[in-house]
Amino acid sequence: MANQVLDVKGLNCPLPILRAKKALKDMPAGATLQVLATDPGAVKDFEAFCRTTGNELLESTVDGKVYSFVIRRTA
Amino acid sequence: MSGNPLYILLCSGEHEKLQMAAMMASVGAVSERPVEVFVSMNAILAFAKDAPPEGRYRGGAFSHLLKEKHAPDVLTLFRQGRQLGDLKMWACSMALDVCGWEMSGLVDELFDGALGLTKFLSDAEGGQLVTL
Repeated sequence: MANQVLDVKGLNCPLPILRAKKALKDMPAGATLQVLATDPGAVKDFEAFCRTTGNELLESTVDGKVYSFVIRRTA
Repeated sequence: MSGNPLYILLCSGEHEKLQMAAMMASVGAVSERPVEVFVSMNAILAFAKDAPPEGRYRGGAFSHLLKEKHAPDVLTLFRQGRQLGDLKMWACSMALDVCGWEMSGLVDELFDGALGLTKFLSDAEGGQLVTL
């Protein structure tokens, strides 16, 4: 269970990433954020986002048309 | 963590190119890349403080789709990039002079100041330069 859930379903690039960054910014190091999205491009976007920011992508799953990402703030 | 700096030379006033510049700048900034945007030529007109909302962005077929689908506003994306990352925006001093504008003629809280092209290109030698 993540510390916080961010629902960005229905939003397209680049809003899911911007909203995730905003949420992570207010979270302490070690806290986890679950992001729920429907943009298919979000899968590769969140992989790249975590790689470049140093945050850890703990989980990337899909349930129907909803993509779920769990990110641990490390940066 | 800080990535390779991204420099965007924004000259076009087309909505589609303004949108792409705003997307690149905001995504780059939140991805820990220092980003600098130099706004000149027709692009500066889209940042006029007194531009009417319906006339700020002019473009083609895709512009209509962006408006129809309520894509995030260009100015909003730039503002979010500035709030969440290291994003600087510069108004071309030549463009301001040609328009007869001061910095006060541009939308509030978006620009860091006026800059010459020589300084911008000199700084851009240290990163990736994209022109739109």
